[in-house]
Amino acid sequence: MSQLKKERTIGQKIFRVLAGFEIAVVCFALLLLLTFFGTIEQSWIGLYQAIEKYFDIDSFLVVPRNASDKIIFFPLPGAYWVIVVLSINMFLGGIVRMRKGWRTAGVLVSHFAILFMLIAGAVSSVLKKEGMMMIYQGEKSDFAQSYHDSDIEIFAYDENGDRTQPVVISSDHLNPLQENDILSVDLPDLPFDLQLTGYLSASTMALAKNQPDLAKENRVIDGFFIHEVERSTTQEENLPGCYVTIQKEGAPVQELLLCNLNPHPISFVVDGTRYGIQMTRKIWPMPFEVELHKTVGEYYPGTRKASWFQSDVTKVTDGSREDYAIVMNEPMRHGGFTLYQARWDAPQGRPFSGFAIVNNPSDKWPEYALYVSAIALGFHFVFMLVRYSSGGGRKPKTPAS
Amino acid sequence: MSSSPILPTPATKNLALRWSLVIVFLLIEFALIGYAISGSIQPTAVRKIPAYEPWPEDVIEIASKIPVQDGGRVKPLSTFARFQMLQLHGTLKMKVETRGDTLTIKSTEWLLDCLFRPELANQLPIFRLDNADVVTNFGLEVDKRRTRISFDDITPIYDKLMQRGQQLTQESENRKLNPKEKQVTSFAQQVLSYQALTSALDFARDGMQIPTEQLPPGIENPESLQKFSHWMAILPEVSAAIRRAAEQNGGEIPAGMRDTLGTIEMFIAKTRFGLNWIPPYDESDEWRPLGRTLTDLIEGKADTWAPAVADLQTLEKLAPLAAQPESKAFLTELTKWQEDLIQRSANRGWGKKLPSEISYYERNYFKHALAWFIFSFVVCVIGWLVTQGGLGKGIQIFAGVTFIAAVLYLVAGILHRSLVMGRPPVGNLYDTIPFITAGAVVVLGIGELLTRRRLLLSLASFLGMAGLFLAFRFEYGDAKDHMDPLVAVLNSNYWLATHVVTVTLGYSGGLVACFLSQVYVHLRLAGVIEGNKSFQRFMTRAAYGIVCFTLFFSLVGTVLGGIWANDSWGRFWGWDPKENGALLIVLWSLLILHARLAGWMKDWGVHLACIFGGMIVAFSWWHVNMLEVGLHSYGFIKGGEVIWFFYLAELISLIVGVVAYIIHRVEKSVVSAPKAPLESGKV
Repeated sequence: MSQLKKERTIGQKIFRVLAGFEIAVVCFALLLLLTFFGTIEQSWIGLYQAIEKYFDIDSFLVVPRNASDKIIFFPLPGAYWVIVVLSINMFLGGIVRMRKGWRTAGVLVSHFAILFMLIAGAVSSVLKKEGMMMIYQGEKSDFAQSYHDSDIEIFAYDENGDRTQPVVISSDHLNPLQENDILSVDLPDLPFDLQLTGYLSASTMALAKNQPDLAKENRVIDGFFIHEVERSTTQEENLPGCYVTIQKEGAPVQELLLCNLNPHPISFVVDGTRYGIQMTRKIWPMPFEVELHKTVGEYYPGTRKASWFQSDVTKVTDGSREDYAIVMNEPMRHGGFTLYQARWDAPQGRPFSGFAIVNNPSDKWPEYALYVSAIALGFHFVFMLVRYSSGGGRKPKTPAS
Repeated sequence: MSSSPILPTPATKNLALRWSLVIVFLLIEFALIGYAISGSIQPTAVRKIPAYEPWPEDVIEIASKIPVQDGGRVKPLSTFARFQMLQLHGTLKMKVETRGDTLTIKSTEWLLDCLFRPELANQLPIFRLDNADVVTNFGLEVDKRRTRISFDDITPIYDKLMQRGQQLTQESENRKLNPKEKQVTSFAQQVLSYQALTSALDFARDGMQIPTEQLPPGIENPESLQKFSHWMAILPEVSAAIRRAAEQNGGEIPAGMRDTLGTIEMFIAKTRFGLNWIPPYDESDEWRPLGRTLTDLIEGKADTWAPAVADLQTLEKLAPLAAQPESKAFLTELTKWQEDLIQRSANRGWGKKLPSEISYYERNYFKHALAWFIFSFVVCVIGWLVTQGGLGKGIQIFAGVTFIAAVLYLVAGILHRSLVMGRPPVGNLYDTIPFITAGAVVVLGIGELLTRRRLLLSLASFLGMAGLFLAFRFEYGDAKDHMDPLVAVLNSNYWLATHVVTVTLGYSGGLVACFLSQVYVHLRLAGVIEGNKSFQRFMTRAAYGIVCFTLFFSLVGTVLGGIWANDSWGRFWGWDPKENGALLIVLWSLLILHARLAGWMKDWGVHLACIFGGMIVAFSWWHVNMLEVGLHSYGFIKGGEVIWFFYLAELISLIVGVVAYIIHRVEKSVVSAPKAPLESGKV
């Protein structure tokens, strides 16, 4: 008797492929390789660079290299995009296509929870903002600074010598620059424009007379020059620098040198007004103010091993005051912002706290996902174990002779 | 006659080839293991020290209970001695030959020698040299490349060694030292820390040694002037007198006084480092060596002269009595000193767990557990040979009993340790070893209960042995007190009890699956289970089940770690090596599960994948700590090259599996190949 085979549509075929175990296995294998190479490569390029290279949304193709920059494996797709494919596969195969019933309930729910966790990761990678707020005891602050990104701020000084509201050239424009790039910046609200050249993402400033040979290869301005330094594997230590030409109506007026190493702004005068320009870590204004009343750091006796940090703070929002005690593993959460005790020291007996500040809409999502997936997976595996132990797991009994 | 309940009767072709291959591979694997553990075998030359007198047992017992502060906590002197000796000597005992007898000196006795009999301590071969170049480059001749030498042996090169060590330490601020240079600085540092111990009581033993002719005439009690404590008691007055004398002498300090001041300065310097056995006299939490307190007193940073002088006097009374260790006087004074320190410590609420800690080390749980695991494994091996009748059954029960004894010792050790530390059982790399071992053997023990095939019990005993051997190797090699308190970020019993425990159980599962699969591929290569599909299926299902166990605990543990990181550092996931390591295990487990569902992985595939999974677990558990990058800096370790032998051994197991698979396929194809048509007329 002949059997009629049902023809599948192209849509169904595509669905079967996308929802198939095969894609899941390939994705796991790729993620395994990417995670492995992305881990070992951190030894020589550092954590930040490894994340950018392997796991960032902008990373489409990755070539694993060793410490001598030699290629050590085939090019691989970027981890972010592998996770996107895996998420689609998990949704189609692990939720839509999967047979629904008691036997598969645990796996179904855990797929759902893990998918939710991956979405939390995606939301975090796109929307999460983080920075560091440093406050000395008895002082207050209403802004945080980025760990890695540097902006250029340009501002006029008022008659009292105070800074006015700055114009900011964002790190988004600076970070992609290479040494030979030229970035022209129009400043419509100011009587001049800027041209940025010679941008270095890891630089230092030096006095020309101290390093005459190196100075010859670089532009020297007011006796100083910047030069490239070896990238540190700790991204926070890589300080950018560049040359800035002040232009008025297209003609250069003055050339300046900016380096994040310099904590003070550089002054210049245009049309009789004094302006300042500074390269500084990106400022992130907070919607509240934090007053640090007391900060205590303790070490285990006779050691430099930290045992306890605590900061007693007051959060001031539009005149309303709330007190918090921030300790290790117990941050302050409020209005989508979380403040963590990240640093503590007391140089010259003046204690200060460094608070890591994070704004992450998906902050708690992984936790919820974990509880659901743990219960679901636990249920599934116990169910399977019971089936196994009541089935043929044991040694077959020898028939009585 | 029925077949063995563990291993079926072989009914396989090519047995000679198979067994030859098994023997070759096993030889390679054992050679690797042997080479890897050869690094932990220490040279054991017995040094002749005729003048050496052993310490009486009661003295050792009293001394061991003296509280000291070290590593941020108050601990018994015996624990301090243990890790000091491990750092310098690499083991916890040494042998000396005295007038015909061979004595074993343990850590507390060695520390007593350092404190009270430095002239004998200096003859003991306390310094372990793994590379004799460290001393031969300075002109010292030693008999072997790996050896042990005494402080007296170093004396001829002492100055050169210290100079070079100091020079390299300064240079290390501007450049990276090469491994040989690091060995020199490390050795020089070891010698200095040893000297800090041996010179701690010089003031009490040697006294001021002021020549009699320099003493002013008419002094009522000239002996008191020979005591360091006396000079410290009157130091403010002496300083004023010296200032006056100098003014009268045109700014010059009289020669006699200069010598005395020099001696005082020398004693203070000698007691500034070493043993922190003086509880604070004020409200601070820091115990100190006497010299640092004396410096603070002189600099006006403290005014606790009276108790400091009292302690000096006590030690001046105690130290000379040690010349006769058997004497009742010494025991009495030592007991008084110990009781005084315990009382002062208790007054501040310290040292409550000292007796428990002493008892923990005395009970030697892990050594007992190791012995029982070895015993259990031997019984299991016998059980493979005798499988029938009452004797076979008896052996099986006995193997179970010995295994339970081993597990009880192991679990008791972990619990006792956890109670002493006042935190959940896993907080550092060392803690993970017994815990993972316990996790693995318990999982296998439960597996044995469910399946009753003896194999899992044998494997559990073997893993118990291997795990505890690794624990000892790591403790001795690392030579750090792993009971010391944890850094602030880890100070969370909730997270230690949840994240760390679950993730380490995941490691246990991964390793169990790996070893189970290694057994499988070796048995398949040997051809002893070729005819027993049921046994093969059981092995595969067991490995697969353990992969599920691994996935559950690794996944939950990894995500819990992310949640902890989110509470501590403000990010759930940072692609940090430690996090990535845990993720690798999760991904590998998921890959196995899905590949099996896809039909890409059958019996052989699952087992080969599990063996490879063992390498991933090793990478995650150990190797990521050696990368020295990321936020988990508290877990970084140096060295650990032994892991490469593990990788190599796993690789060989993989090769065993591949070879076994090829033979299996070839044999199968021969069996199932259609027979050639017979030529006509031949039949």
